[in-house]
This record gives sequence, structure tokens and C-alpha cells, in this order.
Amino acid sequence: MILSWRRASTLSIVLLLGGLASTAQAENEFSREQLEVMAGGCASCHGTDGRLAGAVPAIAGRPASLLESRMLAFKADEVEDTTVMNRIAKGFSDEELAALARHFAENPGPQGDVP
Amino acid sequence: MSQHDDRTRHTRRPGLTRRQLLQGMGAASTLPLLGGIAPFAIANGSAGRVVVIGGGFGGATAAKYLKRANPAIEVTLVEPAEVFYTCPFSNLFLGGLRDMRSIAHGYDELRDRYGVRVVHSLAEDVDPDGHRVHLANGETLAYDRLVLSPGIDFRWNGLEGYDEAAAELAPHAWKAGAQSELLRRQLEAMDDGGTFVMVAPENPYRCPPGPYERASLVAHYFSQHKPNSKVLILDAKDSFSKQGLFTAGWERLYGDRIEWVGLSDDGRVTRVDAENLEVETEFGTRHRADVLNVIPPQKAGFIAERAGVTDDSGWVPVKPATFESERVRDVYVVGDATVAAPMPKSGFCANNQAKVVAAAIAAELSGRSAPEPYWTNTCYSLIGPEYGISVAGVYRVQEGVIAEVEGAGGLSPADAPDHIRALEAEYAVGWYNAICQDTWGTSV
Repeated sequence: MILSWRRASTLSIVLLLGGLASTAQAENEFSREQLEVMAGGCASCHGTDGRLAGAVPAIAGRPASLLESRMLAFKADEVEDTTVMNRIAKGFSDEELAALARHFAENPGPQGDVP
Repeated sequence: MSQHDDRTRHTRRPGLTRRQLLQGMGAASTLPLLGGIAPFAIANGSAGRVVVIGGGFGGATAAKYLKRANPAIEVTLVEPAEVFYTCPFSNLFLGGLRDMRSIAHGYDELRDRYGVRVVHSLAEDVDPDGHRVHLANGETLAYDRLVLSPGIDFRWNGLEGYDEAAAELAPHAWKAGAQSELLRRQLEAMDDGGTFVMVAPENPYRCPPGPYERASLVAHYFSQHKPNSKVLILDAKDSFSKQGLFTAGWERLYGDRIEWVGLSDDGRVTRVDAENLEVETEFGTRHRADVLNVIPPQKAGFIAERAGVTDDSGWVPVKPATFESERVRDVYVVGDATVAAPMPKSGFCANNQAKVVAAAIAAELSGRSAPEPYWTNTCYSLIGPEYGISVAGVYRVQEGVIAEVEGAGGLSPADAPDHIRALEAEYAVGWYNAICQDTWGTSV
């Protein structure tokens, strides 16, 4: 199929807007309360609010993009020497993982430093 | 009169049922309701009274997360012990890899940082109609919502010959503390060449992989200090949690030191003679132990029975989305006492269930609907100090029941190389530190 430049750019704007809209929707999809519950399991290994550093690393205060890409990589079995995070990440949708990444990024890091 | 008593005077009368309360609201419907805040909370700035019974993984977490959700909720935690010893990692103590202090936790942070009122007494009775809890110290606590994290009790004599007196000779050590110390002393006193016999129960029971981790770490202790000694597990079932991983690890680390006899091979013990350290199986085989560890049949902790939330099985059925009792209104139950399969009876699950309950109660007390539940579980087991395995699961409510999310969770790979087993052993320690920080916040 050959698209005219005009149609192609209209299409890409539509796609772009669609993408933006779904991103905005994802950000508002879960209430704070809902995120707290969704993140409840994370704290059981990473400490309250994901702030405990140790054999299991702290996840609070890290950039959302990094946390998200890391969790998606776990989910896709793309991280070498993974033990349990691949099994856990598969229990969440990509949207949930993205929301969790933003949630932990907003928490202060282990020393209380806000990124 | 204490400040607490003073506050409770102004709150909802405990005898008032929800229906009466709603009728009352109807009569006073001209009064403005601020943001859906329940009327009993308006008088004094309290967002409601929650009593939590049991200070283990479920109860301590519930108390903390209720306060995190809304500091205006008055939270009272009732737990007899001032120091709580965790069952997780008590097998490391038995194996000589940790001291008891390292598995001891206290309640200072819950009290001082989160504002939980901690009462060190035994909850003796619950009056669900009156919304009251009676304590052994004579105090009566009124509640709007009650959280029970009662753990387990043993069915004494459910296994013939095994009662509380027998447990002083053949310890269960299935509640950590004095029993763990007794069993450890017996292992230390045992002559080399002896046999440690463990009686493993049928399902369901607290911590499905626990008996097999214990067998592993006792074998580890023997391999270091009593090289001619054996471990014999007599099991009332034909399969057990992480069986393939345990069996492979045992062979790898301990050769034939550990012998497991399942139900079909006459492994089910039907009678215990604790004085002679002897057990008898279904088909009459007698086994003599040098140290005898009996993990007896179990049921929900007794306060669950007093509250009327248990069913004929002795465990507690709950509504999947909120863990409110199916039988008694305004009573929520978490942890090993509940019927929550496919979630196992683990400290991790109790901790996660408590967070869901805390969020549900906090939402409900402010007139909002509870968030969707999410639960996760990871159970690490140590076969040796540098050899860890795990099973994980992610759980949601699907079609009205608790279900494991398909494609997620599962076991450590059967063919994992040594460095992965070592990593899992490291993460097991990281997990223990984290969940205890998340639950109690303080070590003692």
C-alpha cells in the first residue's frame, strides 16, 4: 500500500496522539491506594517502599525508565543469572510494571535522596 | 482514665450493628457527611478503631500498614510476647548457622514510629456482636474492625501419643522460640552415629517446604560435627513442596545421609511414644530415634475459634478480595490460619495478605471501595548455607476465587548451576532481612 505524504503524516500524528493518550491514561489508571497494594509484594524482598539496600537491591529512587526496562527484561527472560524476578515479573502486565516503576521512582532512595 | 479510654467513650457504641448505624444515619440525614467519613469518626478525629490480634508476619504488618494508610485510625496490636521469634530462619538456628537473637524481633518501631498501641497480653475471647475483645490482663478493647493473625495451633493427640507433655521430650519446634532451643540442645547432645527422625504432617500445614529445609540443615550440621549420623523423614504424604529440587540437593550435598519415606512406603506415623523416642507407622513399623522431631497436625490459632470464624476443617474461610471472614462481619483474618490456597501458608503470604487487608479496612473506614488485591509469594529454602532454592507465585482474584497468575511463578530451574544456587542462598538472607524490616522494622 502506498500512502501519500499527507496521509502518512496524518496517520503518524494520529498514532502519536494515540500513544500519548494511552501513556497519560496509564499514568492515571491506578490510584495511589491501588499502587500501594500492587507494590505490596515488592517490599517483602526490597524493604518498605523498596528502600532497603542489601543482597537484594533497593529499588526506590531509581529512574522510572530504568526500573521499567529492567522489569520488562526480567519478564522476557532477557536478564542473565536471574533467580526469581523473571518469575515475579510475569505476574504483571506491562502497564502494571510501568506504573510500579513510576511508583518506586517517586519514592526517596535508600539514603533518603530524591533523584 | 487513660487517653485511650477517653477517646473510646466518644466513638460508636460497640453494641450498635451496622443496620442500626445506617438507620441512625438516615434519621440524621440532614447532617453533612464530610467526604464519606463514617459518623463515628467525626466526633473525635479518629478514623475508626482497629484491633489486631497476633504480632507475627500478618498482624505486625497489618498494624503498620493501617497506620501508613491513615494515621488517624486507632490501631491496637495485641501480642503476648515482647520478643517474636520467626519460624523462617529458625531452621538455620537448628543447623547451627544462626543464633536465636538473629531471628528475634520487637515492637518498638510499630509503637514509636507508627503510633500503634501495643498491648502485651493474650486475647482470650472475642465478642463479635458487641465488637469487643477480652484480654487476659482484664482489659476489654472495642473495635470497629478486627484483624486476626492467629497463626496455628496444634491438634494435640490428633496424632496418638503426641500432646503438650510429649512435645517437651520430642519437640515440634514448629513455633519458634523455646521449642527451637530445646531441639537444638538435643541435636547438640546427640552422640555421633545417631538418627534424627522427623515426623512430617499431611497437608495443609504451616510452611510447606519447612520440614525439608529443616532436614537439610540438620544434615548440614551432622556433616560438620557428627559425620556418622543420619536423618530419617517419615512423611504422611507422597509428595512435598519443591521435592525434585530438595532430592537433587540432598544427593549433591549429603549423599545418602537423608532418607525420606513417603505415605506409600509406610511413612505415615500413627502413634508417638515420646518417652522412648519411638514412633509407629500405619502398617506397624517401629522406628527408634535419637532425636525425635514431631510436626503435628495443625489448625487455626484458638482465638479464631473463639471469634467464630473457623469452619469444620479448623481453618478460616475468607472472602477472597478482602480476607474478611466469610462467617463474621467486620473480622478480617490473615496468614497461616486462613484457607487461601493456592497461596501457601507462608510468612511472605501473611505479610502480603495483611497489606491487602490494611488497604481494604482503611478504604472502607473512609467510605471508599477497597483497591484490587495483589499478592506475591516467594519461599526460599536453604539446602545448605550456599545452596538456595525457591518457589514463587503471583496471585489475583479471578472469577471470584484466589488464583495463581498463569505463566508467572514456579520453581528454581532443576538444572541451575552452582552459582545460581549460591545467589539464591544470598537472596534468601536478603529476603529475610527485608521482610522483617517491612514487618517489625526492628531487631532486638
